Amino acid sequence: MIRILDPTLRSPATPVALSRAPRPRRLAGATIGLLANGKSNGMALLEQVATRLRERHQIGDVVRVAKTNASAPVNESDTEALAARCVAVITAIGD
Amino acid sequence: MIDAQELTSREGIDVADPWGAIEACYAEGWTDGLPVVPPTEPLVCAMLAAGPWKADEVLLHEPVRGRSVTADKAAINAVMAGCLPAYFPVVGAALQAIGDASFMLHGPATSTGGAALMVIVNGPIRERLGLNAKTNLLGPGYRANATIGRSLRLVLLNCLDCRPGVLDKSTQGWPGKYSLCFAEDEASSPWGPLHVSRGFAAGQSTVTVFAAESGHNVLSHGTADPEQLLTCFADAMAGLGSLSPGRTVIVLAPEHAGHLHRAGWARGRTQQWLYDHAWRSLADLKRGGKVEPAFYTNPGLVDWLYRDAPRGRPTLGPNPADAGHVLDGDEAIRVHRGLDPDDILLTVGGGDAGGHSAFFPSWSRGRSVPFVTKEVPV
Repeated sequence: MIRILDPTLRSPATPVALSRAPRPRRLAGATIGLLANGKSNGMALLEQVATRLRERHQIGDVVRVAKTNASAPVNESDTEALAARCVAVITAIGD
Repeated sequence: MIDAQELTSREGIDVADPWGAIEACYAEGWTDGLPVVPPTEPLVCAMLAAGPWKADEVLLHEPVRGRSVTADKAAINAVMAGCLPAYFPVVGAALQAIGDASFMLHGPATSTGGAALMVIVNGPIRERLGLNAKTNLLGPGYRANATIGRSLRLVLLNCLDCRPGVLDKSTQGWPGKYSLCFAEDEASSPWGPLHVSRGFAAGQSTVTVFAAESGHNVLSHGTADPEQLLTCFADAMAGLGSLSPGRTVIVLAPEHAGHLHRAGWARGRTQQWLYDHAWRSLADLKRGGKVEPAFYTNPGLVDWLYRDAPRGRPTLGPNPADAGHVLDGDEAIRVHRGLDPDDILLTVGGGDAGGHSAFFPSWSRGRSVPFVTKEVPV
């Protein structure tokens, strides 16, 4: 028999345990984050979503973060600001 | 020698014979479509032993998806690509280069643009490994070129899930995505080795990486005059299809490089001339639908479009509604490929016969990612 080794990362040596953030029960008055991924029309798409959420769910403030580059991860200070201020965050790619 | 006990994982598949192993790799989705060398423990350990890295050392961390590629996983993929162990230091250095934070690998690895990972090798290791810098250097025929470049692609496929339709969403892709690695023909360069121009010593060996769209042949047999010759390059660079604020790689054929050398053109002068002449008018861009309304809300793209405008950059910003309309003055606004002459990387390679060079635009209609050079560990 020949053993061939797995070239993938399907079996990481140290699995990372992540859990889902608590889901909000209602959106009325809630501060919502909009995280545009850096493509040209991401924020335009998110603004439309925010408008609908205002109409249907009476959301409160909106916090906008636009990544400067779609290839880069969101930076830590933006992540912390969104986590500190928002009940929920919506992200979008819009090319 | 590395002991198999040192590997971060010994998980795999048991098969009866080498032919079964090749088919098992296909069945698992571990290939780029071509057959791979089955990565057995002895082959992987020999590969790993040829580099300076421990099995669990991370050579590439991709922060968007939080994936870390350890040296042993890189070695497995290098074996599969067909590398000899002596190639592994180059593979590892190239992985470190594309993993550099400034390279922002997630974009070129996944985008519809379909970038290849170009690897340019400089320094003494070129000859030690038999890397081709001469005839057909961008084509087939040389094990080191073919397998080092292929190793990067297999790592993307197997470790970062950049499989077609999964995370690799290339609209078309191109054959350079299988492998795109070559050595610079340093002896034919009018300006000394590329890596020396980037701050390394001639005795060091390096890799320089670039996220490349498909190349364009620049044919010129009829002139030795630098300005006539470079006019052909600038024209290719100014094509509307790939015009962007991004970067450029020019692989000069030795014949073309010789013309510039005999005329005494320095690297900087050549870069400056190409930058100055590789432009289209803003009116042309608009006629080709290359100016999108959303560009006008992006300060970087506004800067690119208007940085050379005779009346300077608009203070209040142009109106997005005008993106599709040619306005008075647009004919006089030159929009260059790239943002400055240093966005044009000049390297030399190819057969001694023939006036065929190549232009490679960077991936993305935006600024894309920088050139990154790393030393190959001895």
